[in-house]
Amino acid sequence: MSYDALRHVAVGQYIPVASPVHRLDPRAKLVAFALLVVAATLASGYASSLLMLLVVFALVRLARLSLRYVLSAVLPILPFLAVLALLQLLFYKSAYGASVGRVFLDWGPLQVSAASVRAVAVTAARFVVLIGLASLLTSVTSASELTQGVERLLRPLRRVGLPADQLALVGALALRFLPILGETLETIGQAQASREVRPARAGRWRLAANARRLGALVVPLFVDAFRRAEELSLAMQARCYQGGAGRTHLNELELRAVDGVAMLAAAALVAVVAWLPRVLP
Amino acid sequence: MTENKSQTPSSTEIEAARAAGQRLAASQKPVQERYIRRVVVAGLLLAITLLLTFTSIGFIPVPTPAGSATISHIPTIIGGILEGPIVGLVLALGFGVGSFFSPLVPVKDPLVIILPRLLIGVVAWLVYGALRRANRRTLTVMLAVLLGLLLYSSYVVGQRTLWLGIVMAVLSLAGAAALFLWMRKEDLGIVSLAIAAVAGSLANTIPVLTAAVLRQVPGITPGVALGVGLAQGIPEAIVSAIVVVMVVGALRGISSRKRGSRL
Repeated sequence: MSYDALRHVAVGQYIPVASPVHRLDPRAKLVAFALLVVAATLASGYASSLLMLLVVFALVRLARLSLRYVLSAVLPILPFLAVLALLQLLFYKSAYGASVGRVFLDWGPLQVSAASVRAVAVTAARFVVLIGLASLLTSVTSASELTQGVERLLRPLRRVGLPADQLALVGALALRFLPILGETLETIGQAQASREVRPARAGRWRLAANARRLGALVVPLFVDAFRRAEELSLAMQARCYQGGAGRTHLNELELRAVDGVAMLAAAALVAVVAWLPRVLP
Repeated sequence: MTENKSQTPSSTEIEAARAAGQRLAASQKPVQERYIRRVVVAGLLLAITLLLTFTSIGFIPVPTPAGSATISHIPTIIGGILEGPIVGLVLALGFGVGSFFSPLVPVKDPLVIILPRLLIGVVAWLVYGALRRANRRTLTVMLAVLLGLLLYSSYVVGQRTLWLGIVMAVLSLAGAAALFLWMRKEDLGIVSLAIAAVAGSLANTIPVLTAAVLRQVPGITPGVALGVGLAQGIPEAIVSAIVVVMVVGALRGISSRKRGSRL
């Protein structure tokens, strides 16, 4: 296992480029993102899945990012996905009495039908769309913008007692500490490897031994995280952290017409995806 | 070492800063110390969750068809046990959303991946809270009840397939005996931690598989779900118990029989 890979997780890396997508208000980005995720989850036919793929590719283009970078998380696990898709294709056999359409192959428990081909295609498209969307959102929005956006969006819920600013802070801390803890894990892994502790490769049947080896990585990671948490909360107390009450921002968010257009377009896409299966398969 | 020293404030400096901060905070609206700590710990545990969900570190080899068990739910269990139900809920939500967008999780249905996982931390907190004050006798009675249930179900299975029933009965007797011996020897705090971890882990496996069957995820029929649940859920529960005990033990400074580090 290579620990270097940890630093190159494509999620959570902001890429500053001047593009119309980058310039959108973070609230608009978040709302549009949520709507696009809903649309991707609803897409259940060939036409709607293809439409979602095209939308994601267009957005990546519009954001002046490379498609290769945005989908970099998918590339290393393509073989695993291919095997999984094959298994799905062969063992789909509808157990729920739904019609499967044309049957291409029927051999004992194995069956390839129109329904199984569609299920595999739709699942694969949804997978690419969702990973692409998540990677796109974090590439075009900086962590502080993201936090501010989440906080402002959740603010109305404060009336019912939801601590919007604390929740946004939890998310911001997680994003901030993700690369730091990744590096810590890398260091721990190298330190343990130099002491002949190999991460969880004792063989499948030695469960307790595997768990202990894993503990050699995970326990120092948790201890380090808790030490950091202790120091950080002390620093926050020393600086009189008050929660979000009365906090102001250097750049107050302001919704422009183009933000409204983006959100409306995303909402329209949800409607189209929900309606499309009635016209096209 | 000298560089390090200049960066880290000494304990008197820290105390002074803390006192100054508290005076200032007391003059305005006070926010409890514990509250800030809780928010920060939740943030860091969420970072670990994401780290485990997005990299292959979170998967270890086990003897099942799928070949690996996840440990990504362990920060959620630990958060629930150490910081209470709200942190547990927030972390479970983060775990669900993280796995929904993770390239390592092939199923992309929020009703299977996000919703059923919400209760992991809360379940771990409830079980730990209930057992923390239990004594050895209560635990033994609970074990006896569990053994009774297992023997009854193996009797029911045995009426249909005799050999399977016998195998199940023997396995449950052996498991109960091993648990009983372990409970007698081990520190009670560790026993309740381990049981809470197992409960939290099962609160991941069972609802997710149930939701997968209900939502008709391709390839997951009730039979397959039961197989995956037994083959995957049990190793995951055991691994969670071991890792949670190790982590919480290291954080709290409690150790099992032999004093000192096990690593």
